Amino acid sequence: MNSNKKILYQTEEGGVAVITPANNCPLTVEEIATKDVPAGRPYKIVDASEVPTDRTFRNAWEYQE
Amino acid sequence: MALSIDGTGNGTIGNLSVTTATGNIVSSGDSGTITASMLDGGQSGSAPIFGARAWANLTYNQVISNSGNVSSVTDHGTGDFSINFTTVMPTINYATVAMGRTDTISQYANDKNETLVCLAKGRTDSTSAVRIVSMSVYGSPHSYIDAWELRIIVVC
Repeated sequence: MNSNKKILYQTEEGGVAVITPANNCPLTVEEIATKDVPAGRPYKIVDASEVPTDRTFRNAWEYQE
Repeated sequence: MALSIDGTGNGTIGNLSVTTATGNIVSSGDSGTITASMLDGGQSGSAPIFGARAWANLTYNQVISNSGNVSSVTDHGTGDFSINFTTVMPTINYATVAMGRTDTISQYANDKNETLVCLAKGRTDSTSAVRIVSMSVYGSPHSYIDAWELRIIVVC
């Protein structure tokens, strides 16, 4: 399932964007990352379980290489 | 010859016409417009029909419950996210309809703590994604919040 993975990249504002792939999308997670991450921006694919579910301080999240 | 089959079993069909089709068959002259007569449900009237090019039903934490032509959802921060299209829109001049729900707690029904969904301010349109924000209209100043549910349709 695509949604078992998340794609992370640093936003222009210095925060972190979290991409959730759609399960019914025919593309692979890697293909979705290539398409949906802004061009030239580094990203990484992680297990969805690594992304916090508590969003209380969502805007304070930071991207770590 | 309208129909031919070669020695390997491969067939070719040319100049095929359908003369007795009814219902949802587009028989000729595809103009890109769907009319009521092309549907099966006995729809009336002559106003054209425009289909959704993408749609999504999202729940909290950007869980995509169901969708069409959506590759992913980007969470940019609290109440700020993009719906990314699997296949791009033919133009940036599409229409977007989005509705949000604050919660499903019956105890708080009608308390006016509703969620408003807008096209994100200060962002340009794109054929590959639509960026939207959800905010609470309860209290002042208004603030971005993560909608408990969000449903979106894109038409063009």
